[in-house]
Amino acid sequence: MSLVIACVDASPAAHPVLRAAVATAPVLGAEVEVVHVPEPGRPELRVAAELAHLRVHRPEGDVVDRLAEAAQGPDVALVVVGARERRIGPRTTGHVVGRLLERLDVPLLVVPPEATVRAGIRRVLVAMKGTRSNAKHLTRAIELAAGAPIELVVCHVDDERTIPSFSDQAAYDAEAYAQEFLDRYVPGGRGARLELRIGDPTEQVLRTAEDLDVDLIAVGARGGSEAPSEVARAVVERSHVPVLLVPVLPTGTPTVPARRSDRPPPGSSRTPARSSGSRRPRGDVPAGDGTPKPR
Amino acid sequence: VTAPSGGWSVVVDGYDEELQRVHDALLSLGGGGVGTSGGTLLARGSAHRWLVVAGIYDGTGPETHLLVGPVLTGLAVAEADERLRRILDLRHGVLTEQVRDPDGTVELTRFVSLVRPGTVAVRTVPAAARPSPPRLVADLPAEEGERQGVRWTRVAGTHGGIVAAVVERRRDEVVDDVVAVHSDPAGAPDPDEAVARAVALDGIGVDALLAEHRDAWERRWETADVRVEGDEALQRDVRFALFHLIGSVPDHDEAAVGARGTTGTAYRGHVFWDADTFVLPFLAATHPPAARAMLEYRLRRLGPAREAAAAAGRDGARFPWESARTGRDVTPRTARDRTGELVPIRTGDEEEHIVAQVAWAACQYADWTGDHGFERGPGRVLLVETARYWASRVRIDHDGTGHIDGVIGPDEYHESVDDNAFTNVMARWNLRRAAEAVERFGGDDLPLDTRTVEPGEPGRWRAVADSLVDGYDPATGRYEQFAGFSDLEPLCISEVAPRRPIAADLWLGFDRVRNAQVVKQADVVMLHHLVPEAVEPGSLRPNLEHYEPLTAHGSSLSPAIHAACFARLGEPDRALDALHMASRIDLDDLTGTTAGGLHLATMGGLWQALVFGLAGMRARDGRLTIDPHLPTAWDGMEVRVCFHGSTARVVVARERIEVSAASPIPVRVGDADAVAGPTPCRFIRSDDHWEPAP
Repeated sequence: MSLVIACVDASPAAHPVLRAAVATAPVLGAEVEVVHVPEPGRPELRVAAELAHLRVHRPEGDVVDRLAEAAQGPDVALVVVGARERRIGPRTTGHVVGRLLERLDVPLLVVPPEATVRAGIRRVLVAMKGTRSNAKHLTRAIELAAGAPIELVVCHVDDERTIPSFSDQAAYDAEAYAQEFLDRYVPGGRGARLELRIGDPTEQVLRTAEDLDVDLIAVGARGGSEAPSEVARAVVERSHVPVLLVPVLPTGTPTVPARRSDRPPPGSSRTPARSSGSRRPRGDVPAGDGTPKPR
Repeated sequence: VTAPSGGWSVVVDGYDEELQRVHDALLSLGGGGVGTSGGTLLARGSAHRWLVVAGIYDGTGPETHLLVGPVLTGLAVAEADERLRRILDLRHGVLTEQVRDPDGTVELTRFVSLVRPGTVAVRTVPAAARPSPPRLVADLPAEEGERQGVRWTRVAGTHGGIVAAVVERRRDEVVDDVVAVHSDPAGAPDPDEAVARAVALDGIGVDALLAEHRDAWERRWETADVRVEGDEALQRDVRFALFHLIGSVPDHDEAAVGARGTTGTAYRGHVFWDADTFVLPFLAATHPPAARAMLEYRLRRLGPAREAAAAAGRDGARFPWESARTGRDVTPRTARDRTGELVPIRTGDEEEHIVAQVAWAACQYADWTGDHGFERGPGRVLLVETARYWASRVRIDHDGTGHIDGVIGPDEYHESVDDNAFTNVMARWNLRRAAEAVERFGGDDLPLDTRTVEPGEPGRWRAVADSLVDGYDPATGRYEQFAGFSDLEPLCISEVAPRRPIAADLWLGFDRVRNAQVVKQADVVMLHHLVPEAVEPGSLRPNLEHYEPLTAHGSSLSPAIHAACFARLGEPDRALDALHMASRIDLDDLTGTTAGGLHLATMGGLWQALVFGLAGMRARDGRLTIDPHLPTAWDGMEVRVCFHGSTARVVVARERIEVSAASPIPVRVGDADAVAGPTPCRFIRSDDHWEPAP
């Protein structure tokens, strides 16, 4: 039996973490174990009655060291932690999350303190960059969930760098692109559907998650010694639903086939601009960050 | 994807899970209206294999899509992996795949016959690689059966159906599988037909089928090849494009050429202006029976086109923006675009220039072939019925000027515009060309239930043509793209975009581009490419220089047309970037959609850029006219065509042109006329003009 390790402190944030762990465990066919590292001068962990059946381990010492040790077990499928509490504006990614990411090779579910965690996971938004290594690791997370009755929605966001060069007929290009994207990055389909967006990746992922009322967002996060990607960090900081950070090792590491370097998503060739020799006066530059306005 | 020197093959090494569908489309094979993917025939669970037949659809209305037929499977036991090598022989239309292992090499050779429509053959060596008989499998629910010991599989959609029968023959170390594909656009095809054909094909044998197929491809190249001296990479890319243009268009009966031909199922196999405008000229100039079959597709749908015109309160024939089985419009009304938004699709209602494109295609065919029977008969009908449509469509203002309101031109960023220069000038050209045809051949005895042309009709067409405004400003030498275009936000896309090409509607949002002077693809410039005789003399330069910087090239059709126009402007070096871009759209999967099939119109545009643009060849007034503009980096080029029933070879060097033909054809270079025949005629450059060489 695989394990979901729920890492909690004694703050009010512990409750949503435990609820998220309990909601996620059936998807993975796992049991929940709670790890609480007592901190001197802080109150003892109190668990709500509905969660009183959970087994709680109380190792002593450095919080991150103990949590990392608990998460190293061969049966551990997922580690659940709380995000730092929001004060004014977006929360910052907690140092525990950052340090755990450096040491884990299993997905890390980060639960916002204010999250309303439903009893079961119904719908998951998987934010996919559309590169081989990103997809490979996210697909692994999808595979874990594939046996459960979960609606998987893959979201791919193009920004100014990756916006398509061509869009011939909107109806068919989006259809053909979506089909190929799923075939390429979600092999076998696994019942996933694709939502394409254009704009700032963080904004679009969060907006889509809200529009679709998802229970969880899965996003690739650089593993090993690298810092979490900008998008992953920003999503964690601003999401109202739990965020699954899936470690994505850079291409070239042994776990990723190194036959070819990561390619950009299909259709996003970085074609150099041609000098036009224009004699026209310069027009207004696009407003703001160039993010298109939805029609 | 690599290209050995010589420019006659495309090689894909290994099996790439991520790019396999792109490779399978690039290596697809077509012939006689049947197309099949280049997916490996070796064992691989996820291999992408399909078979389609041009014009065989399933579904109704906008949901009409190409029916996917049965494919052979279970052909070899070797695994497709990094040892796999697939070689597409462009010269002979043969795809070979090899897997080497310590026990030797497994090799599978397949082709889709160019000679016998509906024939697919596979040869496997050694026989040990094939322990069990092949099976024909389909994605859709299929019926299976056996007759005379021959197995067949049939899929049937709401209307059309495809049945395939396979005969296997083993001898020594070779296993041959011959598949007969039989289809019916209206119903479930009879398996007996397929079985009988499979037995007959087996009687001929794969050796003979392959030999005649290879000969047929060599013959096609004799009238279709374009040689580029000094750019080996482009050479291979050009032949790759021509290969798929040849393979995708049948030359018998009727040819429904969808946006991806028979190289994939994307765009649902719908027929757009891509076919008439971009693909047909190549075939009219290299293999007229295929161009004639494309026109036959339109002619057989004249009835629905007349009904569509009548339903809109117009006269004549209104061909649909998207066409499939019936000839009624199958353009979707809404779609979800790349921003996730549900957007209305107005092209079906408003992209009316398709009507003139059908007439233009008919004239291209007539001009290149000199087929007077067609001109007098069905060609005249197409001109008359399209002219009648325009004559009834044009609104005559109180001041006597003619207007066409509420259309979309090739620049689809601007919808519901009035007096789009492209549409108006094409309509004017259409009206005048129809009047000429009636004045030449008369207005009666028209086939296809066509109403006799009344004595005053051609005069009215000319009057309407003369009345049409076109937005031309003699002071600037420019056409205004549509009424009010120059009042829009002066947003110069070439100066503000991070790169071009770029899908500006996705980058800036549709509302922004709709209200700005941002152009998706050649629009006014396209006029100068299609009907240079119908625009103001000398107006190419001011319009190209003005509109190119405003163009996002967000359509894959755009680069090639700009390349052609830069060449005609006498600036061939400026054409090269766009030419290379057009040549790589599928080979580099620049759209991210190549897996769904190849961009056939871009390929046709590439040929036009080379032949109409750089070689400057046109069929005009019964002559082959040539006005070459070679890029500095090139040493020369050679173009093979078929002109007025004669094969012709045009060799262009910097200071010299040589034209030879199987039978005499009139040739004009600059102001110099000559007749080319088995004895070549030659021209030499003298200062800034060409002279016949002694």
